[in-house]
Amino acid sequence: MTEDRSTGSAFSRRAFLKGASAAAVTGAAATAATHARGPVELETFAPGTHAIALQVNGKEQKLAVESRTTLLDALRDRLDLTGAKKGCDRGACGGCTVIVDGVTVNSCLMLAIDAIGKPITTVEGLAQGGVDHPLVQNFAHCDAMQCGFCTPGMVMSSLQCLNQNQQPDRQTIQRAIAGNICRCGTYGRVCEAVERTAAGRGDQALRAPAHGGSK
Amino acid sequence: MKEFTYVLPRSLPEAEAAAKKPGATLKAAGIDLVDRMKERQFQPTEVVNLLLLQPDLGGITADADGSMRIGALATLAQIAASKDFAAEGYAALREAAGEAATPQVRNRATAAGNVLQQARCWYLRSSELHCLHGKDGPSCLAQVGDNRYHSVLGYHDCVRVHPSNLAPALLALDCEYTTQLAGKQQRRRVADLFPLEPKAQLEEHTLLPGEIVIAFHVKAQPKSARSAYRESREKLSFDWATTAAAARVVMDGGVIQEASLVLAAVAPVPLPRPDAAKLLIGQKPSDELFHRVALRAFADARPLSHNAYKVQVGQAIVREVLHATTR
Repeated sequence: MTEDRSTGSAFSRRAFLKGASAAAVTGAAATAATHARGPVELETFAPGTHAIALQVNGKEQKLAVESRTTLLDALRDRLDLTGAKKGCDRGACGGCTVIVDGVTVNSCLMLAIDAIGKPITTVEGLAQGGVDHPLVQNFAHCDAMQCGFCTPGMVMSSLQCLNQNQQPDRQTIQRAIAGNICRCGTYGRVCEAVERTAAGRGDQALRAPAHGGSK
Repeated sequence: MKEFTYVLPRSLPEAEAAAKKPGATLKAAGIDLVDRMKERQFQPTEVVNLLLLQPDLGGITADADGSMRIGALATLAQIAASKDFAAEGYAALREAAGEAATPQVRNRATAAGNVLQQARCWYLRSSELHCLHGKDGPSCLAQVGDNRYHSVLGYHDCVRVHPSNLAPALLALDCEYTTQLAGKQQRRRVADLFPLEPKAQLEEHTLLPGEIVIAFHVKAQPKSARSAYRESREKLSFDWATTAAAARVVMDGGVIQEASLVLAAVAPVPLPRPDAAKLLIGQKPSDELFHRVALRAFADARPLSHNAYKVQVGQAIVREVLHATTR
């Protein structure tokens, strides 16, 4: 299913090619497209908006971005996925953490164009058909939040921790969430939520992430 | 962030051609670059993305001579987790990469980007302030300002510190790097990547405009080699080093045969201390010996008004890294 959020600019031929071959944009299809235009012409995104496609939570989303648009701004302002938070906007707080191509990243430091063709999972992807991922259930069960601003990023780092290690010890969890700052100091309860999830508590029907989970 | 043209080369020659344009800058993950562009401290008109050159610049692979090749685009997370660096001789690389920043940053930050990132001096990094270092200001503001995280060694007119974790580890293992410029590749020692006199108004590295780092090369380490990286921080995690040291030691029969020691976060460049390392040769490891080495490593320290602590803490880190390579 494809949703089109590209506004304000006509679909260019390149953008169409990008959309059509987004899953393999760094692969053969895109290379062939580049060569078809001749070896001299470099692929460029000039100032102004460009229509691109991103693979977000298992769906292809078309949207308009500028070369300077970060993945975080694209998700929040273009796709209305406001789970990822803009705290510091400098990679120093972890509020913007999402999973791209199987690893957690600061989406505020990643250009949206750099995410073309890569599976992206945001915290919104952890609810399917109105049922929350057990990790999310356990965040609620353990009351692992106060103000909640860091929580979406904290959940994504916790999810990645579980993707890499099914039975993480406390130290492993602490290292995994070291890039997420919580000013309310909920770290202990976050660790409990991860441990509870690892122990199989919560509705395990959704235990395995459907998309972009492990690499 | 100011608008720019984003250029996506698919080959090294294309990247080289694009990098030659005035106002163009090379970008890997952009961890440092995007940060500086958001601060409007650096405003390139063209940004040349190297991320699509993974086949040429990515990965960690073995070369025919047994040395390991760390592609310029290999991430810190890849280096930290690499089975190729599991042996004790390579531990400094694993530890330096694995202790940097956060999981999110390590997942994207590249080897070359970590080594070539700009100094983190808060005067340099502010677009509001005009210091001596490439910003046409009258003086180094840190020398008379808040210099708690600045240099105590090897500085001239600018007291920034080199921020890379990986660089001291690469130097301790006497690694090499390959660059490409005008279609020609050149392989040199990593020591050549940093200026001998790290002054203000100079690039923080010795690369020529448009010169692209392709890879770092790590010599095959003998089984008897051990290396380590240790750093001091104000926080247990997610913090810049206040001092750091990387060391490599080869022992035989309980006696140190070879030794190298490199300090970081205390000078404008990662700083090899060969005179201090020489004290180790022919000796048996002991805390008394390491104490003398640590004193020698900081013998010519000239602390600033707010960072005298770095000398004592740095000496402790030297002792710790030497214990780690010999215990």
